[in-house]
Amino acid sequence: MGIPVGMISAIYNFALTTGANRVIRGARIEHVCGDPTLSPEKDYAFGMRIVTTALQTLTIAVPGPTLFDPMAPGKT
Amino acid sequence: MRLEMGTFPVRDIVFGRTTRYDAGRLTVDRDAVLAAVRQDPRIASAELEIAKPGESVRIWPVRDVIEPRVKVEGPGVCYPGICGREIATVGEGRTHRLSGMGVVEVSSVNWHDAGGDFVETFLDMSGHYGEMYPYQKLVNLCLVVEPDATLNEEVKNYAAHKAALTVSDQLGEAVRSLTPPEREVFELAPVDPSLPRVVYIWCVHSPQAMSGSPTAFCTATYGLTQLTPPWYLHPNEILDGALTGPYRTAFAMSWTVANNPLFLDLYRRHGRDWNFLGVISLRTEWTTQTEKQLMANQTAKLAKQLGAQGAVVTWDAGGNEFIEVVRSIQACERLGIKTVFLTSEDDATDGAPTMLEPLPEADAIVSTSFFKNVTLAVPEAPAVSRVIGLPTKIVRRGSTIGLHGGVDGGTLPTTGPLPPPWRYDDHYGFSSLSCAE
Repeated sequence: MGIPVGMISAIYNFALTTGANRVIRGARIEHVCGDPTLSPEKDYAFGMRIVTTALQTLTIAVPGPTLFDPMAPGKT
Repeated sequence: MRLEMGTFPVRDIVFGRTTRYDAGRLTVDRDAVLAAVRQDPRIASAELEIAKPGESVRIWPVRDVIEPRVKVEGPGVCYPGICGREIATVGEGRTHRLSGMGVVEVSSVNWHDAGGDFVETFLDMSGHYGEMYPYQKLVNLCLVVEPDATLNEEVKNYAAHKAALTVSDQLGEAVRSLTPPEREVFELAPVDPSLPRVVYIWCVHSPQAMSGSPTAFCTATYGLTQLTPPWYLHPNEILDGALTGPYRTAFAMSWTVANNPLFLDLYRRHGRDWNFLGVISLRTEWTTQTEKQLMANQTAKLAKQLGAQGAVVTWDAGGNEFIEVVRSIQACERLGIKTVFLTSEDDATDGAPTMLEPLPEADAIVSTSFFKNVTLAVPEAPAVSRVIGLPTKIVRRGSTIGLHGGVDGGTLPTTGPLPPPWRYDDHYGFSSLSCAE
């Protein structure tokens, strides 16, 4: 078995075609894991939410390229 | 919209007592032109030098090459909107141009200070490297200009470019009242309704994402560089410079935009081979999936509403911008508009496609060869006798051949052999390079 990859991307439809099986929706190309329009605390929390979602996907079995949305309800 | 273009071919440029044009020879009053440039208090230094085809001359750093064009009759000014110029809609009346020459903007000012985007282009007036570009055949009047170093990067950019446009305007004045040796009338006259209706989708990089500024300097549409939804432009607006350069690859200079052979051919064969509907200009480098797809959808919708049955598509960049460009093509095809895409290619490594996201709908692609000088195996540009501009060039990580992804190299003398810049990119079909079998 290979190494599971979680790919955080703002252009996620394209990312799903690259061979990555776990694609996590990021913010923008120029700040994928954050938002400079937020205060530093909220930016950090936003980024952590994206990154922890990505880490969680590594434990989930997927049948093929799958998109995960960190902002979906139920994610912490 | 009817535009009469009067062309004054330039064979030679010399300095002299008055700025005047006479049978192909452009005389330039160096002091008067520089005085006009120096009227802008943001300019710290300015010099003019002449570079002729065939000379052992290297010009560095080249930020833009501008063909002098002036509005003689009709509203507005040529190269409208940029650097504070008038934004009145252009394309009507009469315009005079000086062909066979360029005003070269030479300055150490970098595009912006957000990192990652550096001025890399130098121009040789002889030798194999210069031959790759159309500017080697032009008689070039070089403005070596430096703005006040204490200004911020964006202001410096606009000051340097405004200075180059001032030189261009000064030269254009020399032919304002003369009778042009060559004249051509441009209009979208009514044509045989059975001719196929074709639109030109002209995708243009916006620096907004990479620079973090909606007003960062770059290729502009009526002076705007920010990300905007697709615009319709009448082809006469292009002829009057509504789309300007420069973009950081050597082909998207103002000169190449105004002299785009693909565009001119589409226009000149209007009424004969097709019904040319005009230009849809899409700014690229939107930074989310949604925005990219939205632009694609709206570009195709605009083309469909104009009545397009076919679309020719070009772009001027690389990287993630490909996505909105190819999705515009896909959206057009899905609306029944047949597309042709003119583009340069990436390396074909291990059988991977030579473009970022080859969608099945993009099934008619014309290649202008590889966009990397290393793939083209372009040798070092040889030593030269004279340099116009800066005496040294930093060999920069990521921007110079052989150093992509490595560390910054040293500082080389501009006169010596120089590695070519990383990118080549013929966006509009000027050269004769195509795909390798």
